[in-house]
Amino acid sequence: MKVPIQKLTDLGLGVFNWVDDRLHVKKIWESTAGHHVPQSAGSWFYVFGSATLLCFMLQLVTGIMLALVYVPSADEAYATLEYLTYHQQLGWFLRAMHYWGSDFMVGIMLLHMTQVYLFGAYKYPREITWLSGLALLVCTLGLAFTGQVMRFDEDAYWGLGIGASIMGRVPFIGQQLVDFMLGGQIIASETLSRFFALHVFVLPGAVIALVSLHLRMVLTKGINEYPVPGMLVRRETYDKEYAAILKKEGVPFFPKAIDKDIITSAFVIGGIVACAFFFGPKGPGGPADPLQINANPRPDFWFLWIFSIAALMPAEIETFALLVGPAVVGLILVALPFLNGTGEKSWRRRPVAVIVTLLVWISLGILTYLGTTSPWSPVMNAWSAEVTPDAQILHRTPLQLQGAITLQYKQCRNCHAIEGLGGERGPSLSDVGMRLTKPQLVRQVVQGGGNMPAYGQNLSPSEVEALVAYMITLRAEGVPPARDVTLSRNTKN
Amino acid sequence: MKKALFFTPVLALTLASCNPPGKPTLADKWKSPADVSGFTNLYAQNCLGCHGDGKSIAGSITLKNPLYLSIVSEDKLRSITAGGVPGHNMPALAIENGGSLSNEQIETIVKGLIAWRDVSKLPTAPIPPYSAPLGDVAAGKAAFSQSCASCHGNDGSGGPKAGSVVDKNYLNLVSDQYLRTVTIAGRPELGCPDFANRDPATPMTPASVANITAWLSSHRLNEFNQAPTSSPANK
Repeated sequence: MKVPIQKLTDLGLGVFNWVDDRLHVKKIWESTAGHHVPQSAGSWFYVFGSATLLCFMLQLVTGIMLALVYVPSADEAYATLEYLTYHQQLGWFLRAMHYWGSDFMVGIMLLHMTQVYLFGAYKYPREITWLSGLALLVCTLGLAFTGQVMRFDEDAYWGLGIGASIMGRVPFIGQQLVDFMLGGQIIASETLSRFFALHVFVLPGAVIALVSLHLRMVLTKGINEYPVPGMLVRRETYDKEYAAILKKEGVPFFPKAIDKDIITSAFVIGGIVACAFFFGPKGPGGPADPLQINANPRPDFWFLWIFSIAALMPAEIETFALLVGPAVVGLILVALPFLNGTGEKSWRRRPVAVIVTLLVWISLGILTYLGTTSPWSPVMNAWSAEVTPDAQILHRTPLQLQGAITLQYKQCRNCHAIEGLGGERGPSLSDVGMRLTKPQLVRQVVQGGGNMPAYGQNLSPSEVEALVAYMITLRAEGVPPARDVTLSRNTKN
Repeated sequence: MKKALFFTPVLALTLASCNPPGKPTLADKWKSPADVSGFTNLYAQNCLGCHGDGKSIAGSITLKNPLYLSIVSEDKLRSITAGGVPGHNMPALAIENGGSLSNEQIETIVKGLIAWRDVSKLPTAPIPPYSAPLGDVAAGKAAFSQSCASCHGNDGSGGPKAGSVVDKNYLNLVSDQYLRTVTIAGRPELGCPDFANRDPATPMTPASVANITAWLSSHRLNEFNQAPTSSPANK
């Protein structure tokens, strides 16, 4: 049976008009997607906001699909992840999409924030747009952290442990905060339940509400015009100037200014799919078992810099830095549109803003790299698994060879590498014989110092002798052992 | 455009269902130390650092020494692996002794070491047994002069090719059994021949091995530089 096309079109239009009459769809569409934006805002620099939103929508879809299998119980969460990863058809790909989607979302959101800061888009009259964006960043990081907890593996367990440790340092109410966070005194099923609720109900709900507010502000106060050097923001005149820009060169967002957002969205989805395809999901690593001494937990990518700071900062300033640092940073970001809400927008005439941005990104990059390599973490099996290069064994006396064995047996290699093999927590021993004299080596081994424990109680005098005799031989060929320059000076005198 | 919208997810799912690089396999699954199996893995994680594997050398005697493996019994290997050598730098690896390996894993290591035995590389001379009582100190000095002095010096305190074997600290760190084992099996990887090849014309006899071990052991000194009461020198 052939149905006339005209008839079908009329039927479709009729249905649409019926719906529009009741929901005002056309009007909503025109006032949202069709709202006017400055033509200059159709720039490649303005695509990060929509790309972040796209990532969030992708996270919603993949998250709902994961929730069909995932069981948020301490007993079963790990097993369901293993099932998804190794047994369920395409389960690994779904997990990988969700994992990489999260990484992309945080990364693109940070790019969006950087662009907003450098383009002065936080200035009058877009204070609430900036503040809602900050709240979205906090929620997104919260989603990333709670998502890491969902794996309920060693990364999740020790990440929660560190979080609880930070909470516990809050004066007066620290213990109550820890109990509230963990749902008790320990990390258990109650902990997973409340983090699950946060991850799938509270935070996504908050993000949806905040995105609505954020977009509402975009509609009421407009998208920031592409900043022109020398064009200053004044509270008294800006609204009129912006209206004039819109009148002169305003175009409807759809279809005139959306093309770059669509192209970027395609690249973002392609990037997430490619990362999922080539790199797969993360974990699950070892189980959330505090008795597992071989655990090697690492936070997810966007938290590695915090991992580095926590590992590297001196113990004396830990509490102060962990509690006061985030509060100060948060306060500065909240106060920014009020303290610096007018004046120059263009980054070309804001050198301080450019330097601050560069410093933040370079610091994040270095700290993230350090977090990836984590040279401060001992290599726990180096003592029994890492061989010593032949050149560092050959032509040694029996005592020196016993020193080489002692070096392995007492687990020195876990922190000290020889020819790049072993831990990096302490200095390499490859050339220690050129740097330290025998008395200095004995003192260092017996008394410790410089972040190294004292081993005097754990080594017999003969073990110390053998160890030091061996370490003196660790130097480049033909180079004499280190000598004490103060001794030679005293001799001359 | 419509085709692209349809085919992109289809292509992604098709590619994802084949064997892409990101797809985890069961081999990637986390394993607890108790789940590690196979001699190669277990040896690499627990023994390699101190004993090497024949390709790499290490501070302690290589376990791929055919002579050593020919004299040590399977039970002895099992007891050393599981219980270590108390007082010396060989740790106990069995869980029941404070290590991290199950009895099954200990057994895998022992069987793997036994599989390294290679009778084709053994000397033709009568091989001294793995263990025996210490011999005569005075005869040991003479045997040492004949078989070992060319490298370690006449008094054992070091020679042109090798260091001291009578150093008090060295002797404090090794057992009599270790001295005997090295006397028999040597450290060929370091240039120290076994009992049959120090002087191929006259291989060391089981008695001279026991005597040399006794003579070396007689040089032990306690923290007061006195011979301990159990020393062969005081017997």
